[in-house]
Amino acid sequence: MSDAAKPLLRPAAVLVPLLVLCALPLYLESYWLRIGLFSMAAAIGAVGLTLLSGTAGQLSMGHSFFLAVGAYGYVYFSGDPGPGLPPVIAMVLAVLLAGAAGGVFSPVAGRVKGMYLGIATLALVFIGHHLMLTMDGVTGGFNGRSVPPMEIGGLVLDAGQDDLTVLGVPFGAEERLWYFGLALLAFTWFTARGLLRGRPGRALVALRDSETAASVMGVPVARYRSSAFVVSSMYAGLAGVLLALSFRRVVPDYFGLVLSIDYLAMIVIGGLGSVAGAVAGAFFVTALPLVMAKYADQLPLVAAPGSPDGSLGPTEASRYLYGAAIVVILLWAPDGLSGLARRLRPRSRPQPSAPPPDTGLAEPVSTSAVPVATVKEHTP
Amino acid sequence: MNLRTTATARPETPRPLEVEGVTVRFAGLTALDDVSFTVAPGSVHAVIGPNGAGKSTCFNVLSGLYRPVSGTVRYGEHLLTGLAPHRIAALGVARTFQNIVTTEGTVGDNLMLGRHALTRAGFVSSALHLPHAVREQRAHLARAREIAGIVGLERHFDQPVALLSYGDRKRVEMARALCLEPRVLLLDEPVAGMNTTERTAAVEVIRTVREQLGLSIVLVEHDMGLVMRLADEVTVLDFGRRIAHGTPDEVRQDPEVLRAYLGTGADTPGKEAA
Repeated sequence: MSDAAKPLLRPAAVLVPLLVLCALPLYLESYWLRIGLFSMAAAIGAVGLTLLSGTAGQLSMGHSFFLAVGAYGYVYFSGDPGPGLPPVIAMVLAVLLAGAAGGVFSPVAGRVKGMYLGIATLALVFIGHHLMLTMDGVTGGFNGRSVPPMEIGGLVLDAGQDDLTVLGVPFGAEERLWYFGLALLAFTWFTARGLLRGRPGRALVALRDSETAASVMGVPVARYRSSAFVVSSMYAGLAGVLLALSFRRVVPDYFGLVLSIDYLAMIVIGGLGSVAGAVAGAFFVTALPLVMAKYADQLPLVAAPGSPDGSLGPTEASRYLYGAAIVVILLWAPDGLSGLARRLRPRSRPQPSAPPPDTGLAEPVSTSAVPVATVKEHTP
Repeated sequence: MNLRTTATARPETPRPLEVEGVTVRFAGLTALDDVSFTVAPGSVHAVIGPNGAGKSTCFNVLSGLYRPVSGTVRYGEHLLTGLAPHRIAALGVARTFQNIVTTEGTVGDNLMLGRHALTRAGFVSSALHLPHAVREQRAHLARAREIAGIVGLERHFDQPVALLSYGDRKRVEMARALCLEPRVLLLDEPVAGMNTTERTAAVEVIRTVREQLGLSIVLVEHDMGLVMRLADEVTVLDFGRRIAHGTPDEVRQDPEVLRAYLGTGADTPGKEAA
């Protein structure tokens, strides 16, 4: 609300992490960069889901469907069986396609609320999976399709032949995509914050907390419900594009029900309705299994990938870990990582209109300073 | 400051609110039976009656949450029955709830929800922080602060509603309704559950907004003292029927009202604070 109240801290709080993120490709191996890219893609998708499920209170199990629409949409629009459009245009079209898919579902999304929408969206995952397998010409069937690289202004974001080096570091596919992913994540962050702090965000919060109050305050209930769904699917579409670019191949089996549940886990761990929380949760859920796979041989109790049956692989171990994380968070920090962060620095933000210490005796004087108010304050 | 012009086709001065022959039934139970009354522009009109008389049902009809099986509600030239609640709100009819219904966030967030019908910023312009959306938000935030001042909430403007006392949360509801710049304000038990000082304060607020903003107020209340002091006209309901109607003094003498409140043989209706 009071943006003017924090003069110097705010730019610094944004710039420092941004500089660090921009410098990372100079220092990290491509394995870590790939983890970062997957996490950024997941973060974009999670922000979309937190708008729908966290802010508007509408459960969706169909998020992986819209990720798939975005991913396959991009591959189709930019690829060979397909119009072969410039990648940037293909990306925009893929996002719009995901939005349109959300729009087609909006008669349901506008009328069905909460849990019930969750069940209704389950159907999308199965329909999507079926379509991905059967529409061979577009999706490549079971084996999927390879993803055409992103290209911006002649620079191909791929391990191309042009041997680009920056400060002596060879810039391959991951390094180049990294900045593209960062830009998309920054765009997502910027727009989602605008939505949440603006008129639509308040209307969605009101819908979640009390449909009755929202409607008598002038919010058209069905229209806002379906809009939230469309916006959420567009973020999912964008996430799908970045995922496709990072994987360099899209396959149907990735976009299953488990992926939808992973996204729900991200926003719960991060704290429902919070953009920063969704990003943090996405990094946690996405990066954890990959990091554990990397260090499987050094971790106690965790076997290396491909070990004989009965041993605990890194993927399973990380699933246990984040299952445990969800339980811990639901029990002790129901507002997630974002709520935890808020509680750890409770007094960092100045209260703009903090009342002077009230003795109770000075009351007539203090109220006379306010001409309109004829009501005295009564602090409990 | 004229922030009201953004609303569509809304009458600037209050019009009469006419309730005519409204009947509401829930699965065989008649909650309202052929109820009629007219709220004169700029007046305070109280709807009273024992528990279960149909007062809240009446409010829900006025704000569009219930559709009557027969009868009409008119506001000036607009027919309200059959309109969705958000359209009724856009015409300048705002309400509060008996049990407080606030949303998460600060007092400011709640009041800005009241500005929803008066503002335009959509998903795209808010997401992209377009200049007109930012400007609109700033201007309406300033007005919301002003309204918080009218009800005495300016100190709490940036505090989360959840941390406020009961009486203050009631005021948040009233301020949120006022943020709609309503021409008709429906108050459902505005002082229920308040202590004496909070009550006095609330009565002052109602008087203030009526004088400053010149709106019509429809009031459901159990506190007879408050009704008698504030209301210009009183409609008494009992078991969904209108049993009396008139000025507070007329209603006070009405034998039907005495019977409904106290049973037969009593002399004066006492305080009916539930």
